[in-house]
Amino acid sequence: MDKVLQNACSLNYQMQHYEVLKELGDCYTSTGEYEQAKKCYEKASILGPDEAGPYVGLGVIAFQNELLDDADIAFRVACRLDRNCAEGFSGQAMVAQKKGELEKAFEMYLKCLELDVDNLTALLGLFQVSCRMGSFAKVIHYLEVYLQMHPGDASVMFSLAALYMKDGRLEESRDFLRDILALEPENKEASNLLEEVEYCFTKKQKEAVAV
Amino acid sequence: MPDKIIKTNGPVVTVLIPTYNRRRYLPLAVESVINQDYQNLEIFVMNDGGEDVSDIIESFHEPRINFINGKENRGKPYRLNQALAKAQGKYVCYLDDDDLFYRHHVSTLVDILENKTDCQLAYSDLYKTYCRIEADGTRTPLSKKVEISRDFDQMFMFYFNHVLHVSLMHRRDLWDKVGPYDESLNVLIDWYLTKRLVFYTDFYHTHEITGEFYAALSNSDRISVKRREDQKDYCRNVMAIRQTRPPKPWPKVKDLSIIFTAETFDQTAGNTVGNIWRHTFYPYQVYLSMPPEDFARLSTDMMNLVNVPVARGSSVEAQVDKALAVCEGDFVAIVPKGHSIHEMWIEDPLYALINSEASLNGFELELSNDEHWAAVLRKDVLLRTRRNSPNVTLKESLIRSGVDLKKLQPEEIPFQFDELHHEAQAQIKDGNWARAAQIYEYIVKNHTNNLWMRSQAGQCFFKSGDYKKALEHSRQINSLRPTVDTMLTEARVHRRQKDFCKAIELLEEAKQILEGKYIPWTKSCKTHVA
Repeated sequence: MDKVLQNACSLNYQMQHYEVLKELGDCYTSTGEYEQAKKCYEKASILGPDEAGPYVGLGVIAFQNELLDDADIAFRVACRLDRNCAEGFSGQAMVAQKKGELEKAFEMYLKCLELDVDNLTALLGLFQVSCRMGSFAKVIHYLEVYLQMHPGDASVMFSLAALYMKDGRLEESRDFLRDILALEPENKEASNLLEEVEYCFTKKQKEAVAV
Repeated sequence: MPDKIIKTNGPVVTVLIPTYNRRRYLPLAVESVINQDYQNLEIFVMNDGGEDVSDIIESFHEPRINFINGKENRGKPYRLNQALAKAQGKYVCYLDDDDLFYRHHVSTLVDILENKTDCQLAYSDLYKTYCRIEADGTRTPLSKKVEISRDFDQMFMFYFNHVLHVSLMHRRDLWDKVGPYDESLNVLIDWYLTKRLVFYTDFYHTHEITGEFYAALSNSDRISVKRREDQKDYCRNVMAIRQTRPPKPWPKVKDLSIIFTAETFDQTAGNTVGNIWRHTFYPYQVYLSMPPEDFARLSTDMMNLVNVPVARGSSVEAQVDKALAVCEGDFVAIVPKGHSIHEMWIEDPLYALINSEASLNGFELELSNDEHWAAVLRKDVLLRTRRNSPNVTLKESLIRSGVDLKKLQPEEIPFQFDELHHEAQAQIKDGNWARAAQIYEYIVKNHTNNLWMRSQAGQCFFKSGDYKKALEHSRQINSLRPTVDTMLTEARVHRRQKDFCKAIELLEEAKQILEGKYIPWTKSCKTHVA
């Protein structure tokens, strides 16, 4: 019956204290209580020295406080501890974007999305960087993948509609915008863009007729 | 119960603290006893020939401490016997030198034994604190878990222990009945005590968490862990405890007499008796009907063998009748030479028989046949049938008396809770959280150990992504008896629902428990650790 007693043990017996502190740090970050969050992450990093989570948290706090170099270091440590730390790459990308290092930001957002296609922060960040760099092919791909997994996500549909328009895919853009407005009739940005798309569409049709 | 209320009335409670080479942790253990909110204590600290700790004891300036400074390492049972022989308290409780009581441990258990139950033993739940031992020897808690919160189960207690020394309190006079600890034991000492106490009293379980015991992650310095490394010695201890039979009368346990039948006592007979000894954990005696000179020649360490003198060549029926006349059991098992004996061979039908209506006479054992007829019956039933039809076979005498023996049904066997729990654990191991959660929920509805199982269900539902169910279970437990795990689960759900304030409240509480600053109470108020 020893087996029964052993089996009674929960699986995460080594990490409970760490998890409580990490979770608490995340909650304090969400409520903007950064000093409290920082204390929790620092304690968590001592209890779980091989865990990337607390460093991601510390990076987010530094980023929110505009301490970009500190944030970058924390995100790098997170990625060194865990090569698959999508949030660490996303964090590094956000820092690079803020510093105006668009190519690095683009690369880091892509790395993040390779590990986690579901990461909305990276997706929207990639969208913003792509718009500034004028390079849309990759971001369209990731937005499409994301939308397959989260159909009806208006922010992503809008980003895709904007990119389709820039890419000259007016019909697809118009369809997305109509879908958004069906879901959110009051969405001003979508109705403005739809107006613009329809104008371009009409113009394009007229040009075709003229030719 | 507010922090400052100190109870000075009530019966004296003896607290026993055996110690051996734990200077670092002993002060914390002793302090946790001195700081109890129940003050009517008699404290024994027994050094079992380890490093000198007199200076530690003296530093407390505490007249309630009786210090036994043993110079020789005689073992924990010896030291417990030594102190118990001097103990004056109405109740006795135990604390290892590296564990600790919360302030309300003694008062909680005294209150139960004095006011809430006829049981003469009560036990609480404890946190098992997993620690990382730092280079300087300090302990960093990595988790605090109520791993076992099992309601009293007499049959399980015969099989293995589920009540730790540190968690229990019993009447001092029970010890006079059960007799002293077996000083040859060096591991599972708490089981030796609980196993013997079970014969005299039921145990009352309170879910209150009243203390902590420690487990290092690696290279544990716990004596009980180190002793388990010697498998042979460990098995010797297990077998010695299983065979133990304290003095009668036993108000809470019915005795089993196993009547072994063999026309000649040869190798096969020896093997069968050996298997009975190995595989039987319910209290029993084996009655061997054979000439005394043959019995004297048996070379065996087996306990609980009783010779029933018969002439050589006596029939099976004569052997049984002779044994029946002298055996003590309330139940009788007839086991012929060569009968297949395996784990639970007798406990399954016996459990069903004990828990059945008096009209149920007994069961024919698995693999019994006309040639090797084996059964377990109420002794009075067998006696009556033999008296009515003395000159026929055992089976025939039962038939002639109209005694019907049943076949065992699956729902009648013991340890069904353990089977289900084991299955849920297997599902978790395979990552099937949803299935494990369903099993735990089924156990909650259909078996005992409700809080413990509900806690497991809550965690599994969370892992499976069913946050609604996870919240339902963890919230229910937290309203009754919060633990770090259940608070963490509930907080995680609140966080997902963006209710950060509620999540923070729960996590702060959990954090303080982990840091040893706070004890949640199931009663109406809470107390902080001094």
